[in-house]
Amino acid sequence: MVDRVADIWGARTPHGVDEPWPVRVDQYLAEGVPEHEVRWVPSACVLCSNGCGMDIAVHSGRIVGVRGRAGDRVNHGRLGPKGLFGWQANNAPDRLTEPLVRQGGTLQPATWDEAMGLVVERSRQVLTERGPLAMGFYNSGQLFLEDYYTLSVVVRAGIGTPHLDGNTRLCTATADFALKESFGTDGDPGSLRDFDLCDTLFVVGHNIAETQTVLWARILDRLRGPDRPRLVVVDPRRTAVAREADVHLPIRNGTNLALLNGIQHELIAHDRVDREFVAAHTVGYERLARTVADYPPERVAKICGVPADDIRAAAEILGAADRLVSTCLQGVYQSHQATASACQINNINLLRGMIGEPGRTVFQMNGQPTAQNTRETGADGDLTALRNWQNPDHVAELARIWNVHPLQIPTWAPPTHVMQIFRHAEEGSVRFLWIVGTNPAVSLPDLRRIRSILAQERLFVVVSDAFLTETALLADVVLPAAMWGEKTGTFTNHDRTVHLSEKAVDPPGQARADMDIFLDYARRMELTDKDGAPLPKWRTPEECFEEFKRVTVGRPCDYSGLSYEKLRGSGGIQWPCDENTPDGTERLYADHRFNTDTDYCEDYGHDLLTGAAYERQDHAALHPEGRAILKAAHYLPAHEPPSEEYPFLYTTGRTVYHWHTRTKTRRAPQLDAAAPDMWVELAPADAERLGVREGDVVRVESARGRIEARARVTGVREGVVFAPFHYGYWDTPDGVSGDGWHRAANELTITDWDPVSKQPLVKVAAVRVEKIADAGGVPSPAPTTAASRPVGEDLPPTEGGAGVRETVEGASAPVEAVRETVEEGS
Amino acid sequence: MRVGRAVSDAQEAELDLARQLRRVGERHAAEPDLYHLGHTLARRCGEHVERLAPFARRYGVRAREGRTESPHLLEALRRRSGELVGHSELAGLLLLRDLRDLSLTAHEAEIAWVILAQVAQAVRDPELLQVATECQEDARTRGKWLRTRIKQAAPQVLVAG
Ligand code: SF4
Repeated sequence: MVDRVADIWGARTPHGVDEPWPVRVDQYLAEGVPEHEVRWVPSACVLCSNGCGMDIAVHSGRIVGVRGRAGDRVNHGRLGPKGLFGWQANNAPDRLTEPLVRQGGTLQPATWDEAMGLVVERSRQVLTERGPLAMGFYNSGQLFLEDYYTLSVVVRAGIGTPHLDGNTRLCTATADFALKESFGTDGDPGSLRDFDLCDTLFVVGHNIAETQTVLWARILDRLRGPDRPRLVVVDPRRTAVAREADVHLPIRNGTNLALLNGIQHELIAHDRVDREFVAAHTVGYERLARTVADYPPERVAKICGVPADDIRAAAEILGAADRLVSTCLQGVYQSHQATASACQINNINLLRGMIGEPGRTVFQMNGQPTAQNTRETGADGDLTALRNWQNPDHVAELARIWNVHPLQIPTWAPPTHVMQIFRHAEEGSVRFLWIVGTNPAVSLPDLRRIRSILAQERLFVVVSDAFLTETALLADVVLPAAMWGEKTGTFTNHDRTVHLSEKAVDPPGQARADMDIFLDYARRMELTDKDGAPLPKWRTPEECFEEFKRVTVGRPCDYSGLSYEKLRGSGGIQWPCDENTPDGTERLYADHRFNTDTDYCEDYGHDLLTGAAYERQDHAALHPEGRAILKAAHYLPAHEPPSEEYPFLYTTGRTVYHWHTRTKTRRAPQLDAAAPDMWVELAPADAERLGVREGDVVRVESARGRIEARARVTGVREGVVFAPFHYGYWDTPDGVSGDGWHRAANELTITDWDPVSKQPLVKVAAVRVEKIADAGGVPSPAPTTAASRPVGEDLPPTEGGAGVRETVEGASAPVEAVRETVEEGS
Repeated sequence: MRVGRAVSDAQEAELDLARQLRRVGERHAAEPDLYHLGHTLARRCGEHVERLAPFARRYGVRAREGRTESPHLLEALRRRSGELVGHSELAGLLLLRDLRDLSLTAHEAEIAWVILAQVAQAVRDPELLQVATECQEDARTRGKWLRTRIKQAAPQVLVAG
């Protein structure tokens, strides 16, 4: 048995480029469960975008554990700490089990009829008085496809408001937009197997070791194997990924675009461009070359604060690659000039002609487990099945399938992003806001502002969730929702792998599946299509899936060849899957023909600086016709640079043990114990200047608020302060912290978003730091593993995830010999 | 020949626009995209003006400075009152009016570049043509941004506001 809190990635199973990734089945059962009596229900993990195939162990009507699915293409049996332990949240004693309604200032238990009656009454009132533009819906990245698609039809076709977004806006909106800008439609082109096949990895602002631990285990197995791929890492923190790098560029946050332009400058200057590919399969090269010509390494070095020689060395590695896999995540998506930067990563693979082939691809990675489905179903700012809201034919097609008038679907302007929905609520034009399975009172920037918006008398707030979150506490009606394992549905990971997750147990009390809640709402609101038939017309998840298949026919995310039957017990199937590709499609663009035909594309593109939406004629004038679009943009300084008053750069991020605002992971004892409380990270030189040592309490302050937490001195870049964004207020004794709201990282972040993807920029703000108390012998609660590993301190190591069984296929016993500990590396 | 006239017209138009962008951005500080992009675009206007400096000299008119920063205190004041106004229901109407005015000024600047590009061709000045063409492109993008923003704001203000 293994401690998988201490040993995050588990035993190594190294292999070479020509060998398959070995199977290693990870299993964790609650203590004392008789294994032979357990019933296993096939599912997949919903705690990050990797979507590892897993079986849920059920005993006496309760979930009692999980194991990885050996035959699953995503994980080959492995699970990470969140997957192994996170399921315990389902059994938490404080699950919401009945609806709550605000009465006399407090939330009181109510029946479903009372609660839904109130929701419907207020909806009707707002619709009569102000129309659909006064209605807003904000959902999650953790529901199932069927939940999202139902919501999408209810809101877009039924209610008819453009104010529908998902919290994927905070997570992968930039991935979505970068893919649309470069390749014409959403959908990551590559396969996870490309990590097994590559010879070079380019990792930008993506702490894979903590965000997708099983993917990192997969990469480690290559890094420890016979033909180790070369690794270039861009990250201001010394993450576990950075520690493995051949070249690590710890750039100043907010300067990604300058660096990426600089790398392209070098690729072009040293003729590392696949001219034939670029000429045949891209447009925009001239403009790109002209733009990046302004970014020689010396200039970039000054902007980014890293040596010019390191930039050259990185470009040399990328230029020498034969099978290059590039990947990026929040370090790009939540930072200054997000979409512009993400597009440059696409450009690098395009310049090198490395896309659509084994071991050659770019991943605009997802964060949340089911983010891909919000985008496909249109439960965020996209139009269902990767359609283009500016293309009247696409809208008409949708209207035909839904049997509503095309004008019913609001497409006169881009669908409203969450920050704008909150802005409308702030100025009073949105009066009804339904928040589904997400916690904006902790996860959105500038929390003081968010709380004040949600607390307004004139705004009616409905929250459906499994727990009483910080957001639910501000609601007028709270609806108890079923979680994963308590309902059936499908979801899709970042390499387009679709899984079916089956209901294993009943939801607690009166909790209901989100899809059922939306259907109930639709029936009570008497939503109908234009012939008076109920809208949506399905009743079960499977019926919904069949309807969704219909709406995807002929679109890039074609699900028509899939069915529950086919997915049941499969190892995951990648879309597109239609009658010609019944086993799915491993890679998009294998023929180097991209989805950029003007009539087919999902978006006509944007100006990367202003976010101005291009229109049909602008797109047509480019004549992309199946060629990828090389987008170019100049670097501009971030909006809130450090100043005399606020001399540090502030950035936020996650730890391996937690998920978002910890509504689930805080209720898994092993994960909670591994990272129980807020901390902030400082670089050694800064800590010394400030007189701060391990465990000292510091105050970090921005123009918007302040937080107080124990400091950990880590390998973060000098001048940068890091704070994890997981910690809110629901588990503090008085619902706040100390004398007020001084715990959540987003108290300090700025209200600002990327002009194209509208993703909030929570990775660049200016702060000041001061010490306010001595440690008193208590270390910071930060884990000693991964990126928060202490520098120059000997602390008790983070552990406490014992009882996990790892079985390596073909080995007689688990391979303890090649096991690594956290001590390994520099 | 009145080539200089076209050069100074373009300079004036960009300076006007820059001032207005800052003013509107600050007045609507509660609309963060307007605030930040307003300032970014105002700086861009300044760069356009400076790119014309050599041509102003070449054609005998006064070269204007590109800087149009608001005095610090004034900016802070406008921003603060912008944030307050941002909570009132009238904010929307004010926003729409300001965006409409802004788009008129932006259009004027765009036309100034069109004129300048024509003039540059007629006097066979390839350098001026290059600058005028590039700035005209920027001006067109600016216009599109404003259109996108107005398209988004108008229904909300006029139907739900
Ligand atoms: S890597 Fe992601 S999907 Fe896989 S087990 Fe961990 S949290 Fe779950």
